[in-house]
Amino acid sequence: MPVAVTPEARQRGQWQMALERFRGHRPAVIGTFVLVVLALLAIGAPLISPYDPEKTQLLLIFERPSLSHPMGTDSLGRDLATRILYGGRVSLSIGVMAVAVAITLGTLVGMVAGFYGRWIDGLLMRFVDMMLSFPDLFLLILIGVLLKGMTVPVIVVVLGLLRWMRTSRLVRAQFLSLKEREFVEAARTVGADDLRIIFRHILPNSLAPIIVAATLGVAGAIITESTLSFLGLGIQPPTPTWGNMLKDATRDMERAPWTAIYPGLFIFLAVVSINFIGDGLRDALDPRHVIRTQRR
Amino acid sequence: MRRLIGAVPLLLAITAVLFGIMKSVPGGPLAIYEGTPGMTDEDMARLEHAFGLDQPLPIQYVSWLGRFLAGDWGYSIIQHQPVLGLIGERLPNTMLLMGTVFTVVLVLAIPIGTVTAVRQYSWFDHLVTGSTFAFLSTPTFWLGLLLIIVFGLQLRWLPLGGMRTAGVDFDLVDVLRHLILPVATIALVQLGGRVRYLRASMLDTIGQDYMRTARAKGLDERVVVMGHALKNAAIPLVTIIALDVPELFAGALVTEQIFGWPGMGRLLWDATTRNDYPILMGVLAVTSVLIVFANLLADVIYGYLDPRIRYS
Amino acid sequence: MSWKTFGNAAVVGALFAIVAAACAPSTPAAGTAAPSPAGSAAGAPVRGGTLVVAIWQEPANLMPSYQSQTVQSVVLDTVVEGLLRATPAGEYEPVLAKAVPTVTNGGVKVSADGKTMDVTYQLLPGIKWSDGEPVTSADVKFTWQAWMTDPKVGTREGYDQISSIDTPDDLTAVVHYKAIYGPYPTRFGRLLAKHALEKESDYSKSDYVRKPLGTGPFKVTQFNAGESFVVERNPYYRVAGKPYLDKIIFKSVPSSTVAIAQLKAGEVQAMWNIGEAETADVANDPNIAVVVTPSPYVERIEMNTAVNKDGTDANSVHPVLGDINVRRALIYATPKQQIIDKLLLGKAQVGRTVLSIGWAAPKDITQEGYDPKKANDLLDKAGWAKGSDGIRSKGGVRAALTISTTSGNAYREQLEQVLIDEYKQVGVDLKIQNYPSSVFLSGSWATGDQRKRGSYDLSLYNSAPDIDPQSIVNQRYHSKNIPSPANGGVGQNYTRVKNAEMDKAIDEAGASLDFELRKAAYAKALKILNDQAVIIWLSERTDLTAYRKNVQGQGPGNGWRNFAHNTEEWWLSK
Repeated sequence: MPVAVTPEARQRGQWQMALERFRGHRPAVIGTFVLVVLALLAIGAPLISPYDPEKTQLLLIFERPSLSHPMGTDSLGRDLATRILYGGRVSLSIGVMAVAVAITLGTLVGMVAGFYGRWIDGLLMRFVDMMLSFPDLFLLILIGVLLKGMTVPVIVVVLGLLRWMRTSRLVRAQFLSLKEREFVEAARTVGADDLRIIFRHILPNSLAPIIVAATLGVAGAIITESTLSFLGLGIQPPTPTWGNMLKDATRDMERAPWTAIYPGLFIFLAVVSINFIGDGLRDALDPRHVIRTQRR
Repeated sequence: MRRLIGAVPLLLAITAVLFGIMKSVPGGPLAIYEGTPGMTDEDMARLEHAFGLDQPLPIQYVSWLGRFLAGDWGYSIIQHQPVLGLIGERLPNTMLLMGTVFTVVLVLAIPIGTVTAVRQYSWFDHLVTGSTFAFLSTPTFWLGLLLIIVFGLQLRWLPLGGMRTAGVDFDLVDVLRHLILPVATIALVQLGGRVRYLRASMLDTIGQDYMRTARAKGLDERVVVMGHALKNAAIPLVTIIALDVPELFAGALVTEQIFGWPGMGRLLWDATTRNDYPILMGVLAVTSVLIVFANLLADVIYGYLDPRIRYS
Repeated sequence: MSWKTFGNAAVVGALFAIVAAACAPSTPAAGTAAPSPAGSAAGAPVRGGTLVVAIWQEPANLMPSYQSQTVQSVVLDTVVEGLLRATPAGEYEPVLAKAVPTVTNGGVKVSADGKTMDVTYQLLPGIKWSDGEPVTSADVKFTWQAWMTDPKVGTREGYDQISSIDTPDDLTAVVHYKAIYGPYPTRFGRLLAKHALEKESDYSKSDYVRKPLGTGPFKVTQFNAGESFVVERNPYYRVAGKPYLDKIIFKSVPSSTVAIAQLKAGEVQAMWNIGEAETADVANDPNIAVVVTPSPYVERIEMNTAVNKDGTDANSVHPVLGDINVRRALIYATPKQQIIDKLLLGKAQVGRTVLSIGWAAPKDITQEGYDPKKANDLLDKAGWAKGSDGIRSKGGVRAALTISTTSGNAYREQLEQVLIDEYKQVGVDLKIQNYPSSVFLSGSWATGDQRKRGSYDLSLYNSAPDIDPQSIVNQRYHSKNIPSPANGGVGQNYTRVKNAEMDKAIDEAGASLDFELRKAAYAKALKILNDQAVIIWLSERTDLTAYRKNVQGQGPGNGWRNFAHNTEEWWLSK
């Protein structure tokens, strides 16, 4: 592979190497495959299923899985497979959007704190401490009640607000160490201003842990949403999410186990895939891992 | 030292904000009286006054703060018991549960993490990796329910919840039997994360340059691993563990709910759903203090153990 | 395939297999003969034994004057008694008093001017508190005083009608009421011990709050919050030889699902308040029987007839629900029987009115049944035309409504979703907006409770009248009890129904001591109420308790109290 001299070219070369490493990581590849399938199923829900996920059919309560209802029906006679598909839309998108909010916020804060240091760092980190000191669950409950129920935007924002701290610390650590490096010195001598240094030089090199954290964050967000719904605080019915389907199902576990198996299974599949992908990304993007792969 | 002093206004701010949010929430601790036949509005107004709920917010906050710092944590509006007493009842139970989880995770994570890092790609590593991924991808409450169904209902090996068998006074074996499932639920999920974390950091450090230097000096492999790798990999682990200390106090809310464990988590949940402000403020104040100090501790330890990070 | 993936697949597969195996429905034991009704005694009562009852809510405290939860009264029923109590038929019987004072037996004397009355109670001799001290009329007087002076008691209803109490001797108490108070037998249902409480400056901070004294068959020995509440045989109980049981442990469990599991496993022998739909879980178990008791609880949907503001305009009218045709159409559109059959497994009656059991329950009152065609016809004729989306509108107002109830209640959530569907069929768009019960039921004008403020459309909840219905009928359906800024938010007439005839009937019922007259007045008032079509009476609920077969002696339940009303009779067979 040709090795170029400019930082941009070096980065491009690095990305390509990373991709190669990722493709060699078996579980990550499988995880990607599964996740893509899940995403496609979720997006294509209206095309795949002929049923209405919210229409109640009192006569069809708790039907066992059959040809017309491959995953059976739930406590109100609704086709479970359809609800899983539509639920996937909500659960997956909440996960992704919440992380997007968290990453954006966390990166911004961490960037500023790590780059400028001194009292700005101190102030921002105090703020981070304060946010970290808030008991998550309690805040979620309060907000849910204050706003009279959680809608998707609310959950996304709230989950994002509760999770950006870890990213900010990561980014800050990266910036703290990277800002002393030679290439930053070099950029400064050439006359680059702060903004340019941050966004063109340091940030791209800090992306690796951010990406990994983001990926794993989606998994965490999905689990948090399901826990919230289990406590009755998440998205309210009749809109299906994998989380709130599990909540109802735990009550009906003995009578209709399929209502509990499938949502739980899909949460598990999504989260495991994402974790595999994250693991693969971590391996692929960490330059120090190059040593190990060569040793294999 | 400076940071310690800085923690005080932080805590004040946190408690004030929490108080404000709590009180903005509609409803109130007197909602449980709804449906009581004969309850009139004069009755409700009287109760509001008796519990000091009709005073302006800032006054309520300041008077709470004053009493809190003086040691009077108030009385639960719903249970009519002193908040300190209620916390005192539940805290040992939560500490028992979380302390056991803490110990189990610590004792298991280090050897397992170390072995998988040293023997990377062995069958043991793969087995552990597979299991850890599975467990940390499972929502805690889901795992708990599963365990209850399998071990409690189907196999009937273990009790179905609670801390003791009803009517039996404190019996170590009985409590241990009741501890198994809730501890397993939390520990398995946490262990998954910790083992992976430790493994990753150990792999990082093993591959570091200065490790090769140490090896080049001719030290025995095991010494190299234990002495250096572990110490350096321990840093992030210690940080994470330090951040978990507040959980010894607040407990695992969801797990305590599922298993009916009479601990702080349930106390907090009941108080939240019923807007029992005195309990909420008391528990949250302590939790916030613990979190702030845990963070402080983690940062200090981090700075001490890793001389490469300087503190401005 | 790398080892890693294999390991992972193995774990996933194992988990799945466990779940599948675990969830295979347990095959019912062979020979599922119809379980014999609990209580059909298999022999003579056996003395001794500990009964464990699973409760999936727990009492916050056990102070008789702070009662706010049903589960509190469950435990208190075993411990604290009063002068009189309710019978299953909704009448009264004496407990610590010798007889129920009435006008006929001279126990109640109305003054010459007909404005005040005196009620005289004769106490049974030789009754002792659970600490051995004697029960005297001073305790009756003290109970009234405590109720009136303690700022933290729940409701002072009735006690605030008492002007004074005389105690001519240790066993006689003469209660002077300052008005004609019909529900007088409901007062003094739990007595407080003077000798234990009088020395406390703040009752709410005493031990009495968790371990009250009483004259019941048991006394509280342990209050383990979050775990269990233990009551043991009261050595001073007035009936020799009873209770048979040594101890009852009320075990707190996290949910009804866990309670059922523990009941089936035999870890507990009884379960409080099993849900209708849950009875299916235990129906096939030959060791468990369910006792069904009609209760005074009626599940209903109230409709707000005033406009969605603070009701500042006394004549404000709800744009949609102000039209009686819409209200009646909604009643027609509600499939009450189907809901009961499918969601409550048939274990309830179709609702007709607020008084379902008891002496005042009107026998031949009805409400419209399920007839969506009639609903559609009614709305068509009333000028509500269907739009292109199937939803009706009239004069620019769209028939869109919101229904609210307590969140986290599975049956209610199912119910709401059924209604969304059904109401759509008749052209009404229904949305759900639920709240946690502490918000929905806060009942306070100051905190903006939506039922008080009139900022709701449809409100779904469950409630029961006291055994004497005056209080609830008056509070809920009398026009003077419509909460508004003008009257300081007082009253519980949430539907804001106004009918002069109904008001008159309610006042009549409240002013008389003649049960027959009152009964007729209630029947009249409630018929008018149904004509106003402001409430959909969904179902008359039942109390359901599940027991293991070895629990004997319960007999039929008492809907006015709860399943622990006669624990002195219970015993355990082998």
